[in-house]
Amino acid sequence: MTTPKSGSMPGTPKAEFLQSVRDALGRSDVPPAEAYPRLTETPAELEQQAAQMRQRLEENLPALLDKLAQMAALGGWRVHRASGPEDAIEYIETVARGAETANVVRSNQDVFNQIPVDAALTNLGLTVTTVLRDGTTTRESLREEIRRSGIGITGADYALAETGSVIVLPRKGLARLVSVVPPVHIALVQAEDLLETLDDLFLLRRLEYHQQGGEMGSYLNFITGPSRTADIEMTIVEGVHGPKEVHMIILG
Amino acid sequence: MTANTKITADLFVTCVVDQLYPDVGVSVVRVLRRLGVSIGFPGDQTCCGQPVYNTGYSHQARILAKRVLEQFKDSEYVVVPSGSCAATLRVFYLEIFADDPQLLTEAKALAAKTYEFSEFLVNVLKVEDAADCGASHEGTVTYHPSCHLLRELGVKSEPQKLLQSVPGLEQKELEGAEICCGFGGTFSVKFPHISEGMVTDKVANVQASGADTLVSCDMSCLMNIGGSLNRQESNIKVRHLAQILDVESE
Amino acid sequence: MPEIKTQNFSAASAEAILDPKLRRALDRVAEGFHVARLDRIEEVTQETWDGWKDQAREIKVHTIEHLDYYLDLLDKNVTAAGGHLHFAKDADEANEIVAHIVRTRNIKIVTKSKSMVSEELGLNPVLEAMGVQVWETDLGEYIIQLAEETPSHLVAPALHKSKEDVAALFSEKLGIPYDEDIYHMAATARMVLRDKFMEADLGISGANFVVAETGTLVIITNEGNGRLCTSAPRVHIGITGMEKVIPSMQDLSTFLRLLPRSATGQRITSYVSMTTGPRRSEDEDGPEEFHLILVDNGRSKLLADPALRESLYCIRCGACLNICPVYSRIGGHAYGWVYPGPIGAVVSPMLVGLPKAKELPQASSLCGACREVCPVNIDIPKMLLDLRKKTAESPDSSLRSAPETERILARLYAKLMSSPRLLKMAVKFGRFTQKLERMTPVFSPLTQDGKWIRNAHIPILSRWTRSRDLPTLPKQTFHELWEKELSRDDS
Repeated sequence: MTTPKSGSMPGTPKAEFLQSVRDALGRSDVPPAEAYPRLTETPAELEQQAAQMRQRLEENLPALLDKLAQMAALGGWRVHRASGPEDAIEYIETVARGAETANVVRSNQDVFNQIPVDAALTNLGLTVTTVLRDGTTTRESLREEIRRSGIGITGADYALAETGSVIVLPRKGLARLVSVVPPVHIALVQAEDLLETLDDLFLLRRLEYHQQGGEMGSYLNFITGPSRTADIEMTIVEGVHGPKEVHMIILG
Repeated sequence: MTANTKITADLFVTCVVDQLYPDVGVSVVRVLRRLGVSIGFPGDQTCCGQPVYNTGYSHQARILAKRVLEQFKDSEYVVVPSGSCAATLRVFYLEIFADDPQLLTEAKALAAKTYEFSEFLVNVLKVEDAADCGASHEGTVTYHPSCHLLRELGVKSEPQKLLQSVPGLEQKELEGAEICCGFGGTFSVKFPHISEGMVTDKVANVQASGADTLVSCDMSCLMNIGGSLNRQESNIKVRHLAQILDVESE
Repeated sequence: MPEIKTQNFSAASAEAILDPKLRRALDRVAEGFHVARLDRIEEVTQETWDGWKDQAREIKVHTIEHLDYYLDLLDKNVTAAGGHLHFAKDADEANEIVAHIVRTRNIKIVTKSKSMVSEELGLNPVLEAMGVQVWETDLGEYIIQLAEETPSHLVAPALHKSKEDVAALFSEKLGIPYDEDIYHMAATARMVLRDKFMEADLGISGANFVVAETGTLVIITNEGNGRLCTSAPRVHIGITGMEKVIPSMQDLSTFLRLLPRSATGQRITSYVSMTTGPRRSEDEDGPEEFHLILVDNGRSKLLADPALRESLYCIRCGACLNICPVYSRIGGHAYGWVYPGPIGAVVSPMLVGLPKAKELPQASSLCGACREVCPVNIDIPKMLLDLRKKTAESPDSSLRSAPETERILARLYAKLMSSPRLLKMAVKFGRFTQKLERMTPVFSPLTQDGKWIRNAHIPILSRWTRSRDLPTLPKQTFHELWEKELSRDDS
């Protein structure tokens, strides 16, 4: 038995732990690399698969956008197909009026260059804070701002047609909490974010991981609909700890 | 129809039918003969070993399984009027003899020629219409698929095909048909409170179906459900599929 | 480890069966999850569904066969991402690791998202004994934490509680007026826990999967508490069983298709949260530290047994619980330990020790419904039978689950059925006894018409005939009928 010295981290050393696994399997060593087919794809092969994927997406874009809208609605999103930036802004204004809040937080993503929400919402009397540490703000102050807000607006890194999900990745100017703390979340989805299947998504993530020398960021979140529970008598309640109302605005 | 093909089938009648429901065996023989099958009956047969096997006594089960291997080794076909016993011969014997290459070969040979009764009629004798065995039944019937028949042997459509083509028979749907009746061999007496809960629900569903007769391909299920129906003074009859197809049976 | 009550199975299940409120609660759950699951399968077609299941099993078979390799790869990648991977051989060691982190990182408040493995470790009392505030944040877990109970289902831990139960619980423990409205109760939990998420120093989660290729922890949730527990505090610890590793992120597609549908009948849950190490310098938020604790705690026993190895393929969806006619009548607590239902009847005995839990694998009719619904095609009935074999004729008497009489009876049965002559004599004796009983009922009262046995006094027979009739022996066996009438082929 390994007895940790006081002050050192307890736990079984890896070699010992793996040996007991090997003993249980009745093996004394590790089989050769050919035994692990799933992990032998090279970045070049992944890139080729990705290229084929991109072509497929391009060829089927309108149908896939329809599928995204359909699956998102089934998943509990309120889906709005925006005819253009003005239409998107008008929709956001409607949501904001109904939300009974004075504060909005948003991420700092490119999509906001096309959809200038700040001006519109400020006109409605709301404070809009971009979650981006710029020297005057800290992680803590931004967190406070998120807590006070009734609406969180983000873009999407990907939008998955198969499941009707928005995929969010870490980046400068996007806090994870923006899409989970405020009771209303609005996600702006552009046509270029679209992917068809779960396989497409994970292909791209693995490609990035291997291309970046084993780095793909600290998290990836799928969001499909509002927060929900059925823990009491199987009755579905929305907005338990996460947002109660989630809107997907599809641009394109 | 295959009346001209002289198929010989040996009957593994099962201990439950032999000891408690011999009329079912009689119906099986009559139906098969009407379909032109020549029936053999190896006289030393007793039990496939399932009751002890399912309780974990594989040594004891092996003793009985070896007898079956021996008694049926020359059979062309083995017909079994029980889904669970047919599953024992076809599926579980392969587990029992897994460690003995010679006996495993014999068990595989037995498995290849063993059929549950309804399977045999539809898949081997190619019976399309129950009228071909002279069947006719006036009344309403509901069907309970036994678990081993359904899930170990994958026999689902064959009994239905036969029942639906019996002249005069009206079939009623059984709610929760695929839910276990609660027999499970020794389970029924080792955990009687749970078994009773399960059979109570099955009986309620049978009664709700509106049928006057409950049909199954397993007498152990019918012994369980029928015993409960009888305790409740129900008028609902329980019959093996063979008895429905056998016009001479009540 | 939490208290083991598996020895009480018979009594606990007998009591549970008589509880109509529990039955209603179980029916609600089975009905809700089961029907939705069937709808989801119909939507994608049975053929597609079967294809996914085959893929999932293939992935799990491969991974478990090469578990050492994938654990090593996982360790490399968790570390490369800036996280720490810890190996814990048993519950005590896992708890020590958590305790060490708590002490050295000055942790005062912990928020937890659902983790069955943390239940297995009995972690909460250990933390509370250290003076740490522990807040379960999944609504179902929060309810049972207040009630000081254990979960009764893998996916819906508080399903055994009615809304009246929860209202009374909240009123008593939170000092608020009694209110049965389910929406209000959920809102109360939200309100109470809101601040805790933000105040917590440490968030503890389980893991549905851990990806070896990238060192990623995956949780599949609906409430949002999982995201808050793993994003807001400065330290995040993920705790899970060592069998949860999968080789590549690409493999997640198959499991994300199967798990939500199998568990709750959803196409996908509200959230799928994948964590790879702590926050990076450019991240605007997220934990500073990420720890993953992989637990053995008896799983290597399952791994070492070829007959039981496939129990490690389980993805803890709970579909087998929802379909099981036994679980649906007795609920989760009767099983006496962390994992209930069909999979629990295999895993719990092996993790707590077979002598203590030998009844669990016996309490099944082996109907096979669990195997039919399992998204990884695990043959649970086969494993239950294997455990019965281990306990039936074991030379170790602490393993034998039945009284000695059962072994004797099994031997007698085989002897009797091996000898047609002996059997004939036994039948004659049985008929004789029946004649006597008809005249003077002593052991097995017969009905008026002599056709049924009812309320017998003999052991075993009594257990059947107390509620069901048993047919009496007919005048002739099939053997006798064959010899007398049927052997001539008249067709």
